[in-house]
Amino acid sequence: MREAVPSRPAAPSVRGLVEDLLAGDKRAAAKLISLIEDDEPEAAEALALVYPHTGRAHYVGFTGAPGVGKSSLIDRLVRDLRSRGKKVGVVAVDPTSPYSGGAVLGDRIRMADTGIDPGVFIRSMATRGHAGGLALATFDAVRVLDAMGMDLVLVETVGAGQSEVEIAGRAHTTVVVEMPFTGDAVQTMKAGILEIGDVYVVNKCDLADPDVLVANLRFQIEERDGWRPPIVRTSALKGSRIDELADAIGRHRAFLESSGRWEARERARARQEILENARRILATRVREGPTGAGFEALVGEVVARKTDPQSAAVRLLAQGAAATKSQDRRTRPSSRPRARKR
Amino acid sequence: MAKKIRVLMAKPGLDGHDRGVKVIARALRDAGMEVIYTGLRQSPEDIVEAAIQEDVDAIGLSCLSGAHMALFPEVVQLLRKRHASDIVVAGGGIIPEEDIPKLRKAGIKAVFGPGTPLRDIVAFFEKAGSAKGA
Repeated sequence: MREAVPSRPAAPSVRGLVEDLLAGDKRAAAKLISLIEDDEPEAAEALALVYPHTGRAHYVGFTGAPGVGKSSLIDRLVRDLRSRGKKVGVVAVDPTSPYSGGAVLGDRIRMADTGIDPGVFIRSMATRGHAGGLALATFDAVRVLDAMGMDLVLVETVGAGQSEVEIAGRAHTTVVVEMPFTGDAVQTMKAGILEIGDVYVVNKCDLADPDVLVANLRFQIEERDGWRPPIVRTSALKGSRIDELADAIGRHRAFLESSGRWEARERARARQEILENARRILATRVREGPTGAGFEALVGEVVARKTDPQSAAVRLLAQGAAATKSQDRRTRPSSRPRARKR
Repeated sequence: MAKKIRVLMAKPGLDGHDRGVKVIARALRDAGMEVIYTGLRQSPEDIVEAAIQEDVDAIGLSCLSGAHMALFPEVVQLLRKRHASDIVVAGGGIIPEEDIPKLRKAGIKAVFGPGTPLRDIVAFFEKAGSAKGA
């Protein structure tokens, strides 16, 4: 497999890459995302260096069934936001083959025109086996683009089914995209994806009458924490009412800030991410760590019925973490638990 | 985990014949690579910008219109200008024999014509990706 030493030409240090990133260099951003995504040894350092420079950008997630128009909508929205002087990052996720591990990432096709705008950065990402509609590294990439100085970072999930709701716990604003004639009123009553939207979009309004779907959605969508999610009728193809969508996203940010919910979401996310990382580190330690005499003594006690496996596990964790090898290198202020091997 | 080989597949210029590029994208996918397909009618600037943002190991260019002598070398030159000549460029399509040495000289590392076995193309990108990433 691979050697430990990368032989890429003039591979700059992580610190150098982060400096270039902060100066707005796209190649540095791309390289940092790759080394995080590939879980290179420098990934933890990169994330730690990037993190202090994040927290300004508005993270907006887009979810909805495959083919509903998420990529096209994002393309139009990016152009609208650019006309308002905003810098925009996009992370677009597509599925990895469970058979070959490969992927065809096609979201960029719809975004070809916007890709070369200097105020835009688009990155395609494969799920690499992660469920939930995102890749493990998705929000690390989002943070890289945040640190780069993007005002908004748009995240396109894989064409989600009914229960891929992870995005809602990660983004500040979740946009759920629907299109007409996708089912009767009961479809809009189902739990999951139709509960998580802060903004709803009924796209493809040029193809079919959206009124029934809009009425059904309006019937189901409730005010949450003082915010009533708006429903925007768009046609990404024709570019109609994209400004309304941009306005709705902007209003949601203003609402989050004025109501104190931005801060609350930040705290909730930090809490979740600390715990997820702790869980991951513990799992690694448990899987790879305990091999010493102390552990074998516990094994003996369980076999001899002097203690039970659960009590032994409690004692193992209490002894700590001590019984571990040097796994701490992999501790990282990451947005997700990271499986060491996939 | 092992680094994934990332390849950008692009159609520069104006022809709309994308069956070949799709077959190859699919073959690379089935060989475990991540293929970014950017669609039709891309300018060399579009392609290079996408390759940089996607941090790919290699670019595969497909051209069936006859404009390869103008378009392929320009991609190589733009990569050089962006200090990204570590990205390997290969091409394919309807390309006359006599153009192949000229393209190779212009920095196109391989040229695949009709009838090339898919496994040869897969092997080329595997080699390009692992030489670069490791």
